Amino acid sequence: MNPGNRPAETGDVSIAAPQTTSPAGSQASGGLRKLIYDQDHRGPLSTDTIATLMALQSEKIDLLGITTVTTDYWVGQETAYALRLLELMGRTEVPVYAGAANPLLNTKEAAQMRYKLFGSRRIEAFLGAFNKDHWGPDEIKPLLPPYNKFAEIKAQSGHAAEFMIKTVRAYPHEVTIFCGGALTNLAIAAMLAPDIIPLTREVVFMGGSMHRSTSSVNVYFDAEAAKIAFRANWPKFTIVTADLAEKVHMGDNQRVDTIVERGHFPIADLFRDYEQKTHRDIPDLLWFRMPDEMMMAHIIEPSIFTPAVPMYADVLTDDDGHYGDTLFWDKDWNQGDANGPTAGQNAPASGAGLVYVLQDLNKDRFRELFIDLMTRPIRKSTQATSKAGA
Amino acid sequence: MPMNRREFLQDSATALAFSALTPGLALDGPASSVRRKVIYDQDNSGPLGTDIQAMLMLLQADNVDLLGITLVTGDDWLQQEMAYTLRLLEMMGRTKVPVFAGAELPMINRKEEALLRYQLYGGHRLDPWLGAFNRSSRGPGDVRPLPPPYNRFAELTQQQEHAARFIIRTVRENPGQVTLYAGGPLTNVALAILLDPGIVPLVPEIIFMGAGINLFTNAFNVFFDPEASRIVLRAPWPKVTIVTVDLGEQVHIGDELSPGRRMVEEISERAASPISDLFRQHSLPEFRKNPASNGFRMPDEMCAAQITDPSIFTQSVSMYIDITTAPGSRYGDSMFWDKNWDGIWEFRVERTPQWYAGPPPGARLVDVITAMDVQRFKQHFVDLMIKPIQKA
Repeated sequence: MNPGNRPAETGDVSIAAPQTTSPAGSQASGGLRKLIYDQDHRGPLSTDTIATLMALQSEKIDLLGITTVTTDYWVGQETAYALRLLELMGRTEVPVYAGAANPLLNTKEAAQMRYKLFGSRRIEAFLGAFNKDHWGPDEIKPLLPPYNKFAEIKAQSGHAAEFMIKTVRAYPHEVTIFCGGALTNLAIAAMLAPDIIPLTREVVFMGGSMHRSTSSVNVYFDAEAAKIAFRANWPKFTIVTADLAEKVHMGDNQRVDTIVERGHFPIADLFRDYEQKTHRDIPDLLWFRMPDEMMMAHIIEPSIFTPAVPMYADVLTDDDGHYGDTLFWDKDWNQGDANGPTAGQNAPASGAGLVYVLQDLNKDRFRELFIDLMTRPIRKSTQATSKAGA
Repeated sequence: MPMNRREFLQDSATALAFSALTPGLALDGPASSVRRKVIYDQDNSGPLGTDIQAMLMLLQADNVDLLGITLVTGDDWLQQEMAYTLRLLEMMGRTKVPVFAGAELPMINRKEEALLRYQLYGGHRLDPWLGAFNRSSRGPGDVRPLPPPYNRFAELTQQQEHAARFIIRTVRENPGQVTLYAGGPLTNVALAILLDPGIVPLVPEIIFMGAGINLFTNAFNVFFDPEASRIVLRAPWPKVTIVTVDLGEQVHIGDELSPGRRMVEEISERAASPISDLFRQHSLPEFRKNPASNGFRMPDEMCAAQITDPSIFTQSVSMYIDITTAPGSRYGDSMFWDKNWDGIWEFRVERTPQWYAGPPPGARLVDVITAMDVQRFKQHFVDLMIKPIQKA
């Protein structure tokens, strides 16, 4: 725990956002937001891929690179989808780096055995690449339409974690790291080069939960990495919890129909084939929440969200039924009545890190931003301007 | 199952390669044609102890090609170890050996938590040492002046590359040739694996000092960074050789080489400078002051001997190993299982194992050294210390 080590929550003030109504946004620096996009890039369409589309479509994002990590899928399959998506979107200048093929310690055998021994998680039982019936790490299945084939562009040589290190050092205090999957790559980067921790502008992470459940796959897939990442002293580590993500689902308010109707190739096609058609064919299928889309919305237009609440957070790494559970404590746990019965007894773990937990959002504005990004003309590469000086 | 010496040698390609060397003869004679490429990963705690003594052995051996030294926080903090290591290389005239800084902290374990754990569960009675996390330890950036004969900080500087990066690069450039000596916590090696798992099959042997079966199960190099230990000990190395605390306990630095004559006396009087100075100033006084003492065990020296003369070790057992990473009272415990746990007849009823005595999924086999020729080891150690200082 490092009480007082971090700057107070000041809101996100440095994003170019001329059309925003937020006074904070209008103080923007005018530059694009430099982003490393770390993702368990599940294809053909998922909350992961949709957030990628948002990043590619937003004029406020300077996408420095995409890094992949095994979680929902194995990293090779994810990388294949990410590369081909860039081709379909005409954005082959964005470099892709493959990251960790495995969590730091967790294994499929252990995850499956833990479920047998202790019982699975009731609400968030998804194990991604460690699901019982999931294929192996070396198998890369053909890509579904409209991907149709493997990309001709290749992933860069070099590990995702080293790309993070190099990039953060090149742009001190400017780079935001989006972590939409397990935190393995970020943890490796933080262990190899602790100096990048204070040099990173913000980490935005989707995972963990307080009310709906006690965790989510991005945390319990690699609990040790999450513990390392949560505990590191980032200037700002923002979390979209499963609690928040559950407030909006993809099927709400004809979101999908609107995109299919008004969107362009390949976005409209992806939504038609993998959201509209799927749910039409299987009427009982529940619409998924929008966690990664919220992360990206927070980066593009933070004023959509109510202020994040600083809290201490930690992750359990005991190899039992609670492996990967998230724990949260109030930042001001020590500010209560000193004579009260619980005084001093609600303290965070000694190593817990300070994180900023997003609480609520303006659903209308979120929908507006999302539909706009998904239906506007496919954005061209901005390589000439955005990569200047890179 | 325990192997006899012949089986052990046949089992180990490396041991076979070295069995042709006659100890002593090879060391004193012309340089051997077989110089083993070694990366020395160590928590090199000065001024003199098991860490530094192992480094001196590798520097003195003429059958070792020391490609680089990588340091990791363990017995001491990284930068203090760095100061000692660089200066020792200068004093030994071996400034060509590159030194790389590695991890300043374990993956997850932290001092505050380690001390709280001890208070909550009780300390380790037989191995209470917490190294850089000792209660009395200062901060990671507080590098103290070096005592005589070091006298001052080195002019030699550390390399810029991270230790894990150096390990990856070197193993890739010398596939199948680089022996990894791991004498401290396994943080650097774990980071190298995480960045490039492809190096694992390219390392013919990793020699690790840590873990215990009988004396105690919770040994410092493992429990200082249990997560790193698990990562490294589960990786599919062609050969993992482990010097346990049980083996380490067989010889102590204060032991006698011959009746009435301690090893450290022999070295202090007969070695060349700076080795003689180091032992005279930082080893001998302890035994002059307290004649009943025999000092610390010699685990890292045994790791070094596994490289410089593996024929000293006469028996090893192939066993499964794994490390407990649940952050409770057993954080960092080493657990061992028999290789043929499923085939031991006592455990079987009608061909079905009576109970489960096997490893968890993911645990791998390692070679646990179980027996050694103690006298030859002591002589080998003293020989290396008292021979003329090895040139670059």
